[in-house]
Amino acid sequence: MDFSLSDEHRMLQDSLRGILNRHSGDDALAPLLEAGVIEALLTEGEGGFDGSGAAVALVFEELGRAGAALPLIGTMIGRAALAQAGMPEDAARAAFADAEPGTRADRGVAIRADADRLTGRKTMVAGAEDATHLIVTTADGLWLVAARAEGLAVTAFPMMDGQRGADLEFAETPAHRLGSLTDFGAVLSRAALAHAARTLGEIEAAVDLTLDYLRTRKQFGRALFDFQALAHRAAELTVEREQARSAVVNLAAHLDAEPHLRDRHVQACKVTVGRVARLVAEEAVQLHGGIGMTEEYALSGMIRRLIAGDTAMGDADYHLERFANGEGAWA
Amino acid sequence: MDMRFTPEERAFRDDVRAFLQSELSPELAGKVRLHQPLTKAEMEGWHTKLNARGWLAGNWPTEFGGAGWTAIQRHIFEEESARAHAPRIVPFGIAMLGPVLQRFGSKAQQDRWLPRILNGDDWWCQGYSEPGAGSDLAGLRCRAERQGDHYVVNGQKTWTTLGQYANMIFCLVRTSTEGKKQEGISFLLIDMETPGVTVRPIVLLDGSAEVNEVFFDEVKVPAENLVGEENKGWTYAKYLLTHERTNIAGVGFATAALDNLRRVAGAQIHRGRPLSQDPLFASQIAEVEIELMAMSTTNLRMLSAAAQGQAPGIESSMLKIKGTQIRQRLDALTRRAYGGWAMALPSDGGNEGQPLGAEEALAASATWLNNRKLSIYGGSNEIQRGIIAGALARG
Repeated sequence: MDFSLSDEHRMLQDSLRGILNRHSGDDALAPLLEAGVIEALLTEGEGGFDGSGAAVALVFEELGRAGAALPLIGTMIGRAALAQAGMPEDAARAAFADAEPGTRADRGVAIRADADRLTGRKTMVAGAEDATHLIVTTADGLWLVAARAEGLAVTAFPMMDGQRGADLEFAETPAHRLGSLTDFGAVLSRAALAHAARTLGEIEAAVDLTLDYLRTRKQFGRALFDFQALAHRAAELTVEREQARSAVVNLAAHLDAEPHLRDRHVQACKVTVGRVARLVAEEAVQLHGGIGMTEEYALSGMIRRLIAGDTAMGDADYHLERFANGEGAWA
Repeated sequence: MDMRFTPEERAFRDDVRAFLQSELSPELAGKVRLHQPLTKAEMEGWHTKLNARGWLAGNWPTEFGGAGWTAIQRHIFEEESARAHAPRIVPFGIAMLGPVLQRFGSKAQQDRWLPRILNGDDWWCQGYSEPGAGSDLAGLRCRAERQGDHYVVNGQKTWTTLGQYANMIFCLVRTSTEGKKQEGISFLLIDMETPGVTVRPIVLLDGSAEVNEVFFDEVKVPAENLVGEENKGWTYAKYLLTHERTNIAGVGFATAALDNLRRVAGAQIHRGRPLSQDPLFASQIAEVEIELMAMSTTNLRMLSAAAQGQAPGIESSMLKIKGTQIRQRLDALTRRAYGGWAMALPSDGGNEGQPLGAEEALAASATWLNNRKLSIYGGSNEIQRGIIAGALARG
């Protein structure tokens, strides 16, 4: 049993940290791509050099810790899915269209497939404006749509997590069915791990910032940490942070396990990380007090990214129900 | 990152399973599963079997007759034992006193007391808490006064688990009232058959009497029974707390409790189908199972870090909080799954009469009542949060 990073992963971590220290926001994207961040998320068969659960978790945890909300997950899914489907196309920049209006997390409520055409809507599609390819979920399938396909309207807007998102409206839009969702369970699970690991990084950043504030902020002549009502809540946050970390470790270690076991870990990870993310978001603001409400303070972006992280690819309740029923994560 | 056990660890786990299969009787496992109180002979019998295999003191180095297991091996042993419903090893001699004597005791003390722990000649109990010193343990007042080659002990200890079976007690006693209260405490070994020692049982919520009050009235203790230096006992007590807590998360106990909950929920009927299929109840089971999946890995991560030489810090406090929260939630769900039977009064005597066939439901109620202790003993969960917060505040 060994939970430490391999030498290769330590080097990858150092390189990511270097770039994320020098560049903030969208400026980090180009140097990250240049450094091969996408290839680290893909196996050799997919045109990358790693693609392991440990690598995916490491990359997105670093991005989350740095607050870098970059549309990498779509491209990771796109390239992995096309490689699995044996398609020669290069999804240089893909966006993943999963969420739908009018439902908590069901698929196929607002969109339907008819032969090789899609009609309906998807929403909250990160990176759709710049994408070359769209990977679209329906009730029972994963589809490839060209970004400039006929009968497709894209309306972009800012999202809670700082990324640009978009509504996609399909009107008998030509689409290619890659396979069922369960066929692509491994790819989707890798994306769920990416979301969870990024949220874990954001949890760590928000907890660290909160602890620092409790150490330095004084009221009634004492540091906030001297007040037991606050100190115990801070302690509880660190206990839950470890739970979130363990859930990510579990999924990373079971990404290549047989589908039933893998899906149990997808669900457990989404449930745990989603729950802890919401807890940390709420507690971080409360423990800070008024300053935690302000846009200017560093916490503001973290709070928004934390609560958005729970929602992506089904929130904690969605996955809890399926776990309880013994259902798969992607069926 | 590799979460698999090594081939050696898997082989060890197979050895443990084979041992439990051949040595643990179904009758004894059944009593443990139902949380029924074991007799002294049953506990001693299990110790004897483990000692014959060389496994009684997994945490001790081989030079003292222990098995010299790694933290991971101990974890495997504890988890497999709990899942098989083996009696837990009575911790006072093996897990608590042994390591203190090995680290701080004299050669003579090691030679005299350690073999007697292993072969069962002595049954040790713990004299820490007092009526006025619970969470604030350093406030203890039980006094030991040096008179020639003896100490004379006066005072009271409480919550002394299984003290009714013990012939020896290791005590924190006050030997000085100068300076900080932590600096006047000593670690003393006391023969309970000495005149002036009185043991009185405390009946708990569940009807059990596993804990006791112990009174000391002019009790003469040979000075050679002082461990280490006078007034350094607090250091030894703290060593015990930070170094012997691999099982503090109770992963094995929680896993066994979850298995039991699933079985009960599968058998109880709710709206014409098993309670385990009720969406509300199933989601509550799922929540605690998911918590346990994460906690189990938190435990392994921390064991693994300790095995690589990282100093133990606030990890055991974190595991204690989360581990006890999980076990208490499992206990609560199991008790409530029994429906009406959860209203029956658990009783250890059975003379007053009991509802028909409700043996396991009564055990579930008794377990809920008894396991309220989990978040109180060994430093209450609030004390643990204070320890964590103290470390965090220092940064």
